[in-house]
Amino acid sequence: MTGPGPSIGGNLLQVEGLSCEFDGSRGVARVLQDVRLTLGKSMTLGLVGESGSGKSMLIKSILGIAPRTARVTGRVVFDGVDLATLKERERRKFLGRRVGMVFQNPMTSLNPFVQVGRQIEEAARYYFKLSKDQGRSLAIELMATVGLPDPEDCYGQYPHQFSGGMKQRIMIATALACKPDLLIADEATTALDVTVQKQILDLLQTIQQERQMSMILVTHNLGIVAGRTDEVAVMYGGRIVERGPTEAIFHHPRHRYTEALIAAIPRTDQPAHTRLRTIPGRPPDILRPIPGCPFAPRCPVAEPRCVESMPPATSDGDGRHGYACHVPVGAASGGTGTPGLASTDAR
Amino acid sequence: MSGSGIQVDRRGPQVSQPTTPARGPEAVAKGRSLLPEADAPTWFAFGFLALLILGAVLADWIPGLAKPNLEVGAFSGPPALTVNQLFGTDALGRSIVSRVLYGARTSLSIALFASAISMSAGIFLGMLAGFYRGVVERLVDLYANTLASLPPVLVILALIAAAGTSVFTITLAMGLLGIGTYARITKGAVISQAGRDYVLAARALGASDVRLLAREILPNLVPTLTAIVPPLMAGLIVTEGSLSFLGYGIPPPAPSWGGMIAGSTDLLNRFPLLIFGPILAIVLTVYSLNTVGDYMARRIDIREGQL
Amino acid sequence: MRSVRSTYLRAIGMRLLAGVPVFFLVTFAATALSDLMPGSAAQTILGDSATPEQIALLNAQYGYDRPAWERYLGWLGKLLQGDLGKTAYSQQSVAGLLLNRAATTFEIALLAMFVALLIAVPLALFTATRPGGITDTVLRAVSSTLLSIPIFVTVVILGFLFAIVLRWLPATGWMPLAQDPIGNLGFVALPAMCLAVGQTAYFYRVSRSEFVATLQEDFVLVARAKGLPASYILLRHVLRPSLPQVLTVFGLSMTHLLGGSFIVESYFAVPGIGWTVLGAVKDHDIPTVQGILSLTVLVFVLMFIVVDIGYALIDPRVEAT
Repeated sequence: MTGPGPSIGGNLLQVEGLSCEFDGSRGVARVLQDVRLTLGKSMTLGLVGESGSGKSMLIKSILGIAPRTARVTGRVVFDGVDLATLKERERRKFLGRRVGMVFQNPMTSLNPFVQVGRQIEEAARYYFKLSKDQGRSLAIELMATVGLPDPEDCYGQYPHQFSGGMKQRIMIATALACKPDLLIADEATTALDVTVQKQILDLLQTIQQERQMSMILVTHNLGIVAGRTDEVAVMYGGRIVERGPTEAIFHHPRHRYTEALIAAIPRTDQPAHTRLRTIPGRPPDILRPIPGCPFAPRCPVAEPRCVESMPPATSDGDGRHGYACHVPVGAASGGTGTPGLASTDAR
Repeated sequence: MSGSGIQVDRRGPQVSQPTTPARGPEAVAKGRSLLPEADAPTWFAFGFLALLILGAVLADWIPGLAKPNLEVGAFSGPPALTVNQLFGTDALGRSIVSRVLYGARTSLSIALFASAISMSAGIFLGMLAGFYRGVVERLVDLYANTLASLPPVLVILALIAAAGTSVFTITLAMGLLGIGTYARITKGAVISQAGRDYVLAARALGASDVRLLAREILPNLVPTLTAIVPPLMAGLIVTEGSLSFLGYGIPPPAPSWGGMIAGSTDLLNRFPLLIFGPILAIVLTVYSLNTVGDYMARRIDIREGQL
Repeated sequence: MRSVRSTYLRAIGMRLLAGVPVFFLVTFAATALSDLMPGSAAQTILGDSATPEQIALLNAQYGYDRPAWERYLGWLGKLLQGDLGKTAYSQQSVAGLLLNRAATTFEIALLAMFVALLIAVPLALFTATRPGGITDTVLRAVSSTLLSIPIFVTVVILGFLFAIVLRWLPATGWMPLAQDPIGNLGFVALPAMCLAVGQTAYFYRVSRSEFVATLQEDFVLVARAKGLPASYILLRHVLRPSLPQVLTVFGLSMTHLLGGSFIVESYFAVPGIGWTVLGAVKDHDIPTVQGILSLTVLVFVLMFIVVDIGYALIDPRVEAT
C-alpha cells in the first residue's frame, strides 16, 4: 500500500527555510529559524537538542499540527509533493496516512476512554475503509508485531490497564497502522524506565529495518542515537547547527555545541567519582535572539563575530557533514581539544 | 436564588482565554498599570462598583437627591432629566434613583456583613479542618455538604417561617450559610499547602502550629480569596434580592432592589420603563462582581505561571 | 462482570452512607425550627386571637410543648411508615401533597436542564475549537451577561415578553401533564424557559472550558497527527472525556434549579414545591417545611448517585477503583 513516489531512492522528506513564530505577551518568540533538513528513503535520522531547542516544534510544523497561534513559513516537500500545494485538510490526510507519530508521553497519548484496539485501528479504518472485523484483525496483528502478549485480549482493554512500556508499544502499533513511509518518534522513550527504553528503541529499530521505512528519532539524549541512526542533526536555539553521518558527528564533531554535548555523555570507562561534564550557562532566550550564533553566549571559544553575525553553513568532505560555526573544532583559528569546557561544580 | 454560587467555577479559575494582544515595549515603559492586563469589561466592572459604592455611601449628601420614602413626583411618572426622576417615579411617586441608591446601601451592607461572618468563621474552621484533619474535618465537611445540598433560599425561608423576617435574620442566615463554602476552599488550600516545601521547612525550623497557619498559610490564601469573594458576594446580593422579590426580604417601605422589581411587575404593561432602574442596578452589580472575580482568577493563574 | 457490578453497588452504597448524616442533620434542624419562634410556637402559629383551647390542641397534635428531640423521634417513627405528618391547616397528608407538587417541579426542572444541555454543549464544542473567534467572543460576552441576570429578573422580562406583549403563552396557571399533555406544554414552556436561560449560560461556560482543556490533551494531538477528520476527533476524543465534568455540574445544578423554581413557581403561580413552601412559610406550616427540606436532601443524595453511575458508565477507569 506504500505508493511509490516519483523519485525512488531519492529524498523522502525535504525541508527548506522553515521558520516558526509565536506572538507572546512579551514579544515575538522565534521558535524555529530557517531550518533546512533532508531525509532519504529508508534512512534514519537522529534529531538531537536540549529541551526548548525547537525539535518538537520542528516536527509539529512539518506535519502541520503546530498550535493554531503559530506562524509557520517555509517549504516542506514530502515524497515529491510540495505540501504548500495541498489544502490544509488534504495535507492532514496525506501526512496522516504516510507518517506515523509516536509521542513522548505514552501515559497521556492514549485516550483513556477508548479501547486500545480501536485507537490502533481507527486511522487505518478511516483511510482504507476497513470493516469492523478487518480493523480488528489489523489491530491484533499490529499488537503482536510490537510484542504485546495476548493481543486478542488486549484489543478490548483500556489504556489504564497497561504499563508505561506497554502503552508505548501500543502507540507504536497505532503509528504503524497505515504502513507509513516515515515513522517519527518524538522523545518516545524519555518517560520510560531505562530498561524499557532500550527495549522500545530496539523494537523501533527492528521495525524500521523490516519495513524499510524512514525514521526520525527525536531526543535530547545523544546517547540514544549512537549506533541507531544513519544521520544526526543537532538543534540549538531553533536552528540546526550541525548535521552529518552519525559516525562523523560522534568522532569528528565540528560545532562547539555538538562537542560539548558529546563531552557531557556519561562514560563508563572513566574512573568512579569523575565529575559529570555539563554545559555552563543557560539556553538561549527565544524572545531576544542575538544576531549571531545562538550558542555564542555559552561557547568557550566564542569570538566577537560569533555574537554579531550568523556563521554561514559550511560542509566537510562530500558535503554530507554540514555545520554553522565561525570557529569549528579542529580548525586552525580555534584551539584544539576542548578548552574551557570545564566541569562545573554540581550545586 | 439562581445565582448564588452558580457563578463560582468549582474547579477554580477558568481556563483563561487568549488574553490581551501583545503590547510592545511602550506599554512597559508606561510603568505598572493600576489593573495590569485588564480588558475593557474589567475596567468597566471596577468603575461601576466604585461608583455604586460611592453613591451608596454618599447618598445622604448627593445634592438634590430626595429621601427614598419621600413623594417627589407623579405616581408612576416617566423618566425625566432631573436628579430624582432620572429613572422615573414609582407607584407612590417616590424617586426610583433615590430608592436604587439607598437599596444599594442595604444590599451591599447585607452582603458585606454576611460575607464577614462566613469568611471569618469559614476560614477558621477550614484551617482547623485542613491542618488537623480527623474529626474536625469530618464535622466541617458534614456542615459544608449539608448546606450544599439545600438551596440557600429554602433554608432562609425555613428560618423565616420560624423566626420571622428582619434584616438581622437574613444577614445572619446568609452568613451562616456561607461558612461551608469558605471552610471548604480554605481546607483545600491548607491541605495543598501543608505539604509544600516552604511549610515543611518552617516546621523543621520549629515553627508552632499557630505561627505556621497565621504566617505561612493564611497569606497564601489571600489571592484565592480575592477571586472567590466577589462572585460569592454577587450570590448574596441575588439571594437577598430573591427574598425581597418573594416578599420575605427587607420589610417595606425600606428600599430594596428585589422589592422594587416585584412592585413594578403589576404596572409593567403600562409603565415598562419604570422597572429598568432596579433591574439595571442588580444586573450590572452582579456582572461587575463576577467580572472582577474572573479578573482576579486570571491574575492568580498568571502569577502561578510565573513561579 | 459481577465484580464490576458489585463495585458500582459499593460506590452507590458509600454515597448513601455519606448522605445519611446530612439527612438526619437537616430533618432534625427542621424539627427544631419551631423552637426558634419567639414566645410559644403554638401562639405564633395561631396568632394573637387564639384561645387557650386551640393552643392546647395544637400542642397535643404537634407536640410544640415537648423538647425537639422527642418530637424528632416521633417524626422519624412516622417517617418509617411513610407518614410525613399533616399540613397545618388543611390537614392533608404532607407526603401525598409533596408527591403531587414534586412531580410538577421536576417536570419543569428536568425540561429546563435538558434544553440547556441541548443548546450549551454543541455551542461550546463549536467555540472551543475556534478560541478567540467571533462566535467565541460573542458567546463569552452573552454567557457572562446571562449569568449576571438573577432569575427573578428573567421571569419578569420573559413573562412580560411572551405573555403580555406577544401573548403566545399563558402568564399564570398550570395543567397537570397526566390530565392534558398538550395543555401542559403551554404552561410548562415559560417556567422552563426562565430556568433554562441561566442554566444554559452556566453549562456553556463549564463545558467550553472543559472542551478547551481536553483539546490540549496529547491524545487529541495524536488524533490530529493521524489526519482524522475534525468532527470525528470531536465526537470520539473530546466529547466523551469531557463528559464527567459536565455531569458533575449537572448534578450540582439540581440544587440551584430547585432554588430557582421557587421564584419561577411563585411568579407564574405553578403549584410545585417552591409555590408550596412559600405558602407554608406564610402559614408557619412547620410539617410541610420539614417535609420539603427532607425531600430536597433526598433529591440531592439521589442526584449524586445518578452522577456516580454516570461516571462508571462513561469512564472505564472508574470500575477499577
